[in-house]
Amino acid sequence: MRNSFDEKILDEALDWIKTNQKVVLATVIQTWGSSPRQVGSRMIVNENGDFSGSVSGGCVETAVVRECIDLIKKNKVCKKIEFKVSNESAWEVGLACGGEIAVYLEQVN
Amino acid sequence: MNIKTLEQIIKNKSSKVEFAIVTNLKNGESQVFEPGQKLSGDFDKFQKEVENFFKSKKNGIIENSDIFVETYIRPIKVIIIGAVHIAQYLVDFAKSLNFEISVIDPRGYFATSQRFPDLKIVNKWPDEAFKEIETNENTALIALTHDPKIDDPALQHALNKKFYYIGALGSKKTHGNRCQRLKEAGFTDEQIKSIHGPIGIKLGGKSAPEIALSIIAQLVSETYNK
Repeated sequence: MRNSFDEKILDEALDWIKTNQKVVLATVIQTWGSSPRQVGSRMIVNENGDFSGSVSGGCVETAVVRECIDLIKKNKVCKKIEFKVSNESAWEVGLACGGEIAVYLEQVN
Repeated sequence: MNIKTLEQIIKNKSSKVEFAIVTNLKNGESQVFEPGQKLSGDFDKFQKEVENFFKSKKNGIIENSDIFVETYIRPIKVIIIGAVHIAQYLVDFAKSLNFEISVIDPRGYFATSQRFPDLKIVNKWPDEAFKEIETNENTALIALTHDPKIDDPALQHALNKKFYYIGALGSKKTHGNRCQRLKEAGFTDEQIKSIHGPIGIKLGGKSAPEIALSIIAQLVSETYNK
């Protein structure tokens, strides 16, 4: 559904920051094909890899968390990552639905 | 994103001011846009595009640019007539679905804050209550009292204001009588047919949360069809 005034993910991000956690916002900025979550969907990740929200149906969250931790470690402002269809025979991260998504990572500072 | 921007977003969300977040994907800079406001800095040349995204309530990247726009629009207003048991569950479901609920019930013993802790109940007759609630074609009505004295004036208001969703609780017989009364009040068959009655999609359940679920499912479906 449309971006909701009630969605609490950004409020949660601010709560995390107030408790001295480092926070990266991960936002779906583009989709192709049958991607599970629409543009504007979001998750937040801290330096320990705790996360809330989602950018897919659980397919790529692990990889996003890893990238977010990396972003914090290298103290980079932002990064764009793309996920494509997964190869079913391999245990690799990808979208089983056959869609593609671009996720934008940005540190809150 | 700057923490100040994040704080402003949260402020706008809680005061229900419509806005958009505009982000430069190249450098991570972002700004909050509100209708009628001028964008500053590097964003100013995208003013028109951002306004267009906002008008069409779209999220996405502006073509041939690195500018990402995310729009936040006000929730859809849903008026519930009757602070009854089903309404308590509807309020819970609606919370996560971007609906803004108002409950109207002239009966003081139903409309208590103990029964609806986080909600302001309008403890007035519908005709009076609608004087203080702004409504239009983007409003939905769920009539739950199945008492003609309370439901009928609300249904008439909703039909006159062309609410996009109107539902009324009650059996086929109750609904038949209701339709007859509305006809006598001068409403056309087409108008009367637009009322969802008996309300909700067929789930088979009879308990209050089950009926609330069937109503909210119908409301979501009609919201996407409008």
